[in-house]
Amino acid sequence: MEEQEFLPRIIGFLCNWCSYAGADLAGVSRLQMPPTLIPIRVMCSSRVDPLFILTALLRGADAVLVAGCHPGDCHYQYGNYYTRRRIALIKKVFDQLGLETDRLRLAWISASEGGRFRDVVTTFTQHIKEKGPNPIKKEIFL
Amino acid sequence: MKGKIIKNSDNINTKIREILESLISKQIFDAVFVPVRVPTGESFTYLLIKDKNILKDCIPLPPIMSVQGARAFKDLTRLGKLKYKILCVMRPCEIRAMIELSKLRQVTLEDVSFLSLDCPGVYQTADYIIEPEKYDKSFSSLLEKWEPEGLRPNCRVCNHFSNQEINSDLHIGFYDQSLILVPLTKKGEEIFTSLGFESTDDLADWENRKNELLRRREEIRNKTFTELHNQTNGMEGLENFFKGCINCHNCMRVCPICYCRQCFFESTDQLRRESEDYLIRTEKKGGIRFPVDRMLFHLGRMTHMSLSCVGCGVCEDGCPMDIPVGQIFNFIGDEVQKMFEYLPGRDKDEPIPVLTYKEDELHEYEDAQETK
Repeated sequence: MEEQEFLPRIIGFLCNWCSYAGADLAGVSRLQMPPTLIPIRVMCSSRVDPLFILTALLRGADAVLVAGCHPGDCHYQYGNYYTRRRIALIKKVFDQLGLETDRLRLAWISASEGGRFRDVVTTFTQHIKEKGPNPIKKEIFL
Repeated sequence: MKGKIIKNSDNINTKIREILESLISKQIFDAVFVPVRVPTGESFTYLLIKDKNILKDCIPLPPIMSVQGARAFKDLTRLGKLKYKILCVMRPCEIRAMIELSKLRQVTLEDVSFLSLDCPGVYQTADYIIEPEKYDKSFSSLLEKWEPEGLRPNCRVCNHFSNQEINSDLHIGFYDQSLILVPLTKKGEEIFTSLGFESTDDLADWENRKNELLRRREEIRNKTFTELHNQTNGMEGLENFFKGCINCHNCMRVCPICYCRQCFFESTDQLRRESEDYLIRTEKKGGIRFPVDRMLFHLGRMTHMSLSCVGCGVCEDGCPMDIPVGQIFNFIGDEVQKMFEYLPGRDKDEPIPVLTYKEDELHEYEDAQETK
């Protein structure tokens, strides 16, 4: 049987002011990147409740990217600092429970960093490709 | 540390009752908030007591925790601060939960004073109501021996059973059939002096025993947590851990920290979905469990409230399927709290870590690689 190449499905929570604009810039600049990221625009990266991330991973997403403005650049002043603490918390919980922490990534991408957006998506996709599909994908009785 | 030793207090409840009565008589407090045995005898409940005659029946240190004190207290200040002075007589974990709730703006602690007690642990409620007499008897000897056998699992690993890092005003310890009164704050000092006591007695014996107990507890704690860590390794382990869960959400309902009046997992937004939505979800997996999101509930609660988890274990008591849910929350809570060097209930002015930040921290969790 012919093995189909595994193409990860990454849910990306992009902040409206920086990372989403960065993604937009990558698009209009026609930068090439794998079609793996499914963007969800949020007004601020701190809008991302741990439940969003958990829901995505438990329902079978291969990875979750949370992207926001660089520290100090948040359009709500401190939102991304709170995000960082929250992501650290989730990763710690995952780590203790023996769940894979590297399926969750926090990145700072500004509105002018189209290239950086492409790099983050490309490297993250590569990493998840090497890891393989999210094992939770097969779990029915969650 | 200095305090007051009251000798020959063979019945601690009677002695504490006398103190409470005197505080009411002297009008230092308008009321006290303290556990009382229910008339049928097999359970306890918190009462807000004004009348000294009812105070005669109070059991300041009951052998079970049928309700978490902070959960019981919550309704009192729902509409703002108290208009009178009260004294809450609680176990250390209950006071810690109160402090956490005040940070979450669910209770107002103005005009509330705390009297904390040395806590040897409690029995599981389900065990107790079957044979109350037997457990009453063994509980009285528990204060002498402090043996962890038969206690609620979280109590066996508790490392804050006395006045360790607690935001209480006055503490009462027990040692060698004596009552040990220690004022911990200025407010506590005032209560202490108004009772006619002076901090003159040396408390070294009590403190030494306390530290010895703490050492023993820490040993059991580390062992238990290592076992838990091995047991819940990966999604399969978790699945196995929660296998008996019947989705009753009792752990959330009895939890003092879970304060949301409308929990996400019981909200209409979460429950009302188009039928197609569920079918789409089966596409990748082939099938999904109903009711949905059982694991999401537990993991969600872990990420939402583990920072404030005081490890009281009331969730485990409330679980009808005997899932060690209190232990796993205690274990996860301990780890995340350590990460932020935070201890719930230590200080009411110490913000909950996710409600504050530092500009330069946690860089290992962000992906900040510079690219062109």
